[in-house]
Amino acid sequence: MATATDAKKRMVRINGCVASAQAAKYADVDVIAAYPIRPYTATMMALAQMVANGELDAEYIVADSEHSQLSISHGASSSGARVFTGSSGVGVQFAYELYSPISGSRMPVQMMIADRTLDPPGDFGSEHTDALSTRDMGWLMGWSCDAQEAFDNHLMAYRIGEDPRVLLPQMVCQDGFFVSHITGDVELPDTGQVKEFLPPYKHPYPLDPRHPVSHGPQIMPEQGPPLQLERARAMEASMPVIEEVHQEFARIFGRKYDPWLEEFKTDDAEAVFFLQGAHAVTARFAIKHMRDRGMKVGMVRLRTIRPYPTERVREALSKFKVVGVIETNMGLGSVSSGGVLYGEVCAALYESEKKPLVVSFMAGMGGEAIVLKEFYWMTEKMLEAQKKGKIEKRTHWVGFEH
Amino acid sequence: MPTIEVQRQLLPILGSPNQGARFFNPELPSSEPFVPGHRTCAGCGPSIQYRMTSKAAGDNTILVGPTGCMYVANSSYLCTPYNVPWAHTQIGSAGSFTAGVAAAYEAMIRKGKWQGKFPNIICEAGDGSASDIGLASISGALYRNHDCLIICYDNEQYANTGIQASSRTPYGGMTTFSPPGPEVPEGKTLFPKDLARMMAAGHPHCYVATASVGYPIDLMNKVRKGLNNKGASYLMVYTPCQKGFVYETPRSIDLGRLVVECGLYPMWEWNPEKRAYDYSFRPQTMRPVSEYLKLQGRFGHLHAEHIAKLQKFANEQWRMMGVELPEALIQAADAKNLVNMSAAAEAETVAQTI
Repeated sequence: MATATDAKKRMVRINGCVASAQAAKYADVDVIAAYPIRPYTATMMALAQMVANGELDAEYIVADSEHSQLSISHGASSSGARVFTGSSGVGVQFAYELYSPISGSRMPVQMMIADRTLDPPGDFGSEHTDALSTRDMGWLMGWSCDAQEAFDNHLMAYRIGEDPRVLLPQMVCQDGFFVSHITGDVELPDTGQVKEFLPPYKHPYPLDPRHPVSHGPQIMPEQGPPLQLERARAMEASMPVIEEVHQEFARIFGRKYDPWLEEFKTDDAEAVFFLQGAHAVTARFAIKHMRDRGMKVGMVRLRTIRPYPTERVREALSKFKVVGVIETNMGLGSVSSGGVLYGEVCAALYESEKKPLVVSFMAGMGGEAIVLKEFYWMTEKMLEAQKKGKIEKRTHWVGFEH
Repeated sequence: MPTIEVQRQLLPILGSPNQGARFFNPELPSSEPFVPGHRTCAGCGPSIQYRMTSKAAGDNTILVGPTGCMYVANSSYLCTPYNVPWAHTQIGSAGSFTAGVAAAYEAMIRKGKWQGKFPNIICEAGDGSASDIGLASISGALYRNHDCLIICYDNEQYANTGIQASSRTPYGGMTTFSPPGPEVPEGKTLFPKDLARMMAAGHPHCYVATASVGYPIDLMNKVRKGLNNKGASYLMVYTPCQKGFVYETPRSIDLGRLVVECGLYPMWEWNPEKRAYDYSFRPQTMRPVSEYLKLQGRFGHLHAEHIAKLQKFANEQWRMMGVELPEALIQAADAKNLVNMSAAAEAETVAQTI
């Protein structure tokens, strides 16, 4: 049987969904739990074909719901198997109950999410609300902005999550359609590189009849907080591991990512966009366009939102006059009455001596592309605020105002 | 890619299935995967069942415990009654978590990541999990035929939450969600979901059976048949709950017999090879339902018409099993005859006449 174990490094043109499936194959996952929902489905289609072709030896389970997908993953990971699952939109939410039990039992399940707007009703487009609504459940979480980064993030997430200092599940997110369905050049590695980078999964206390353990017994109120503290500490402990793994990844694969933030044209920027995911690709183009016309704009892209790099965000954003947060998520009735990123940004800046003005843009909602005209419009709003030295309107729904 | 063949366990079927016997049986394994030290109530039917089924399975076993009495009362952090690996899962995850464990072992053994015979993987789901919130997940595990045994320990209610009606609560059963009152004199107005038959009908490739704690050897043999069956198996086991049924504590096993003898808990096996029900199990006697009901406080509010309705239900169960009904039981299904005390007394003599 042909396997990933004898693959040589090569360039392919694939979309984000297939890149994720390829990463799962290279990680030699043991159990895959699938259930269809657009747009992530194509990942599971690709994996089903790999199993059918004999390219990947894994138990491929077509679950009866997303709730079951996550429960299957929990059970399999608890038994010592490397697990891959995924979902989109309301599917992510159907499984909500399992997120805390999985991170609480410290099982490094990996979940691919291709974002989709939540109902009502039935909008297929990307909005980050699905994954972001689970952001405080103890899962490592971050967004990729293209197919190559998605592939790389999956491999890195396995290594980070399975590290005995961490043992936490991971949500590896990508924008639906903008990443999941747009093809790009992806370098698939030599399997020797993956072997060197990703050691076999070995949980310290799996469900093994030779070493009986009890997972998740009932506890008394006073026994709860120490366990929660352990989980909080694991989240903190993951930060140096994340940095270490990104360095290792660069050494072995030759692609270097800052684990927390990507800064684009920020050296002399006065106004910057702060965002996650695929809109960074269009933002880079827009920023070049505006810079050609003398505007001092830049972009800071958050690569990892859990754990949240508070210090890094503060250091990075304190340099600027204005920060425009591009939300692409819904935080109804939240701090800004816009999205949830605004609050995260402002909290990081609270202890800064030099605070930029922060404005929130509801853009890219419903899976709409953010077009050049809108980047100009947002920049105008930021420069206006800079000129006045204050924010007159905290949240703008882009496309609904003049 | 070289794959390793998965070796499976084969457990012997116990002889001398003398259903009435309560003496020491030398064939029973000495291992105790489920030991004392838990916090279940005195006379707890589900925990008696737990001891029997895990004993039948032996030590190369993994237990899965969705939320329910057998999670809440058994496991207390820093203290565990399980001598084999056990994991809690969510109440709606009974079948899916179990499927995950089974799939993991298939893959890990096949890929050489774990050496040994495939473990017995048993899920112990309460009837709330099995008949309501976890039904789809269990159906999924049976349908996909993972090598596991899913047990519904049926105490006919949500017990650890404080006795609430489930889809398995019998007609007339009083719970805190089905209390009797002037407008609803019988309490629970619905008849229970025919859960085990539903599982057999919908997943005919699985071994499915019903059992009761009143018949321990039969129960353990059904557990072993289920485990020996390569693929998914399902058992629904009658396990009385002293708190919810309200009876004298030492009578748990008696109730386990009476419920079968009065026809309210038909005992059968579904044979996946023959694709047929096996109704050959026969209790030593037949009784009217009133003999079972009168021992339990949860039925104390019932009127004659409600008891007759339950008798009619029991009679239908007997007929479904192909058992010919004695005249007295047919008469007991008519409220008029029950009100007439001589008929009730006549019905009670059935036990002595069969």
